[in-house]
Amino acid sequence: MGAINQAITVKNLSFAFSGLKVLDDVNTTIEAGKLTFILGRNGSGKSTFLRLLAGLLAFKNGEIEILGNKSSQLSFAERAKITGFLNQQHKAVFPFKVEEVVLTGRAGCINFIPKKSDVAMAFQAIEKVGIAHLQSRIYSELSGGEQQLVMISRLLAQNPKILLLDEPTSHLDFTNQMNLLRLLKTLVAEGLTVVSVLHDPNMAFVFGDDFLFVKDKQIIRSTPNFEPWDAGFLSFVYQSKLEAIPYKGRAILVPQIKVVTG
Amino acid sequence: MNKRLLIILLYILPIPALLVSLFIGPSDAASGGEIFKSVFGFLSGESASGNNPELLNAVVFDVRLPRILLTFLTGSALAVSGCSIQAIFRNPLTDPYILGLSSGAAFGAALAMALVFIPVQLSAFVFGLLAVGLSYFVARKNGNVSVISLILSGIIVSGIFTALLTVVQYFSDPFKLQSIVHWTMGNLHNAGWKKLQSSFIPILAGILIMFIYRWRMNVLALGDDEARTSGINPEKDKLLILLAATLASSSAVAVAGIIGLYGLIIPHIVRMMIGPDNQQSIPLNFVFGGTFLLMIDNLSRTVSGFEIPIGVFTMLLGAPFFIYLIKKTNIGWEQ
Repeated sequence: MGAINQAITVKNLSFAFSGLKVLDDVNTTIEAGKLTFILGRNGSGKSTFLRLLAGLLAFKNGEIEILGNKSSQLSFAERAKITGFLNQQHKAVFPFKVEEVVLTGRAGCINFIPKKSDVAMAFQAIEKVGIAHLQSRIYSELSGGEQQLVMISRLLAQNPKILLLDEPTSHLDFTNQMNLLRLLKTLVAEGLTVVSVLHDPNMAFVFGDDFLFVKDKQIIRSTPNFEPWDAGFLSFVYQSKLEAIPYKGRAILVPQIKVVTG
Repeated sequence: MNKRLLIILLYILPIPALLVSLFIGPSDAASGGEIFKSVFGFLSGESASGNNPELLNAVVFDVRLPRILLTFLTGSALAVSGCSIQAIFRNPLTDPYILGLSSGAAFGAALAMALVFIPVQLSAFVFGLLAVGLSYFVARKNGNVSVISLILSGIIVSGIFTALLTVVQYFSDPFKLQSIVHWTMGNLHNAGWKKLQSSFIPILAGILIMFIYRWRMNVLALGDDEARTSGINPEKDKLLILLAATLASSSAVAVAGIIGLYGLIIPHIVRMMIGPDNQQSIPLNFVFGGTFLLMIDNLSRTVSGFEIPIGVFTMLLGAPFFIYLIKKTNIGWEQ
């Protein structure tokens, strides 16, 4: 029974960048229909892990299973039907219109030229994200927050079952961060599985369903012994003394302030 | 102007351009008036009027028509290739000339002309491809090819093949040398049916492949990660498009010589007019690229008593354009 709810299963996954080990024998699962956040420090391997899930990096050791498919055996087009990926930041070179950018999400289903149904799906995705007013604007002239919404529309046009997002809020202001995370929560409520790398554990605890921590080349998740927002555990993960303030059955973490005065 | 109207105009433009070009040239026997008289005479059933109908026929159909068609195809090939290369390298500041492709193809063609026993088109293609591969390889660093490094490596590769071309010229006998030098500067004045025959198949084949892949270029222009995760194999598609662009533009170079920066100017003008969507701009680069080169060629035939090589014109036109683009585009110097 439990196996049906697994969107992603990772078994004995190891990965190294030019000899330098980033992930060492990782075993973990990600549940379907949930908003899962991947947390951890800079350079801990969060993005690497996500890129492995997205099929952007090839691995030699271990196995990743996505909705029952062996990741290493998926073709580009097959994978695009299952997972969609959002880069941390995207730089546009040519002044494409928003609708043209969103339409490229359909690439996996388009032989050479988009059909009317593809264009219709792109417009649906644009409306779903609530950026119909930006449709004919030039993508590269939009603000960072608007650009992220366009790229999420692009993912929805692609129509995968799992969204993999790499720090989608990193270049956004506070308001845009909240709006984007609310949107993710809505998408999950509608049946999508969302896996996102995030910097801010507090934002993750406010919006997320499940939490993975990348630490010392491993992926740790909370056990019945401690909650993900456990101050001691997070102080260990983030290597900084933290204090937990209860919030709606969870907790918000604040740094302990120690001022050294002469 | 209304965009739809503009697009329709661009598609119609080749027809008057082709007709006008038939009337232009140094021969008095085939001036506009003579041709008009001959056509009119033919239509009204009179026997051929004018002073010399056979000469007129020869000038119009054996000299001007093949030249016009070849000029049009050359312009189309360079424009479509330039647009495609810009999309797949995500680099608005490149074209077959800047990439070193033209110099490579020119060297290949000259080598074949000097040695006789290799087919000119094939040799141009092979060395054009070699030049592109070299530029790409030199520019690639940590899996990335930046805008600037591609321009720089293109300069070096172009320099190498231009030097090799000089070596070929040095060892050629005077008769061959003259034709090689003329042709290198970008010249269509000795275009005939034979040249058209040898080049139109590879040029059209290359253009056809780029035409088929025109929407995919939008996806590729977004970036490798984006293409890959939305279901496209960027390496495979880019290689195919690059081969097609090399085939079309090296064949154009083999018959018309180096027409510098033409593949840079036209895609930008088209983009300014109708936007960057390659689904629309690839066919428009075909018609406008052909038409505009015809107009430049007409100019080079009429502006002075002797013919100015067309490559000289495009270079003089393209250089300020390139400078304008450097100033205008936000190319990441750091990226």
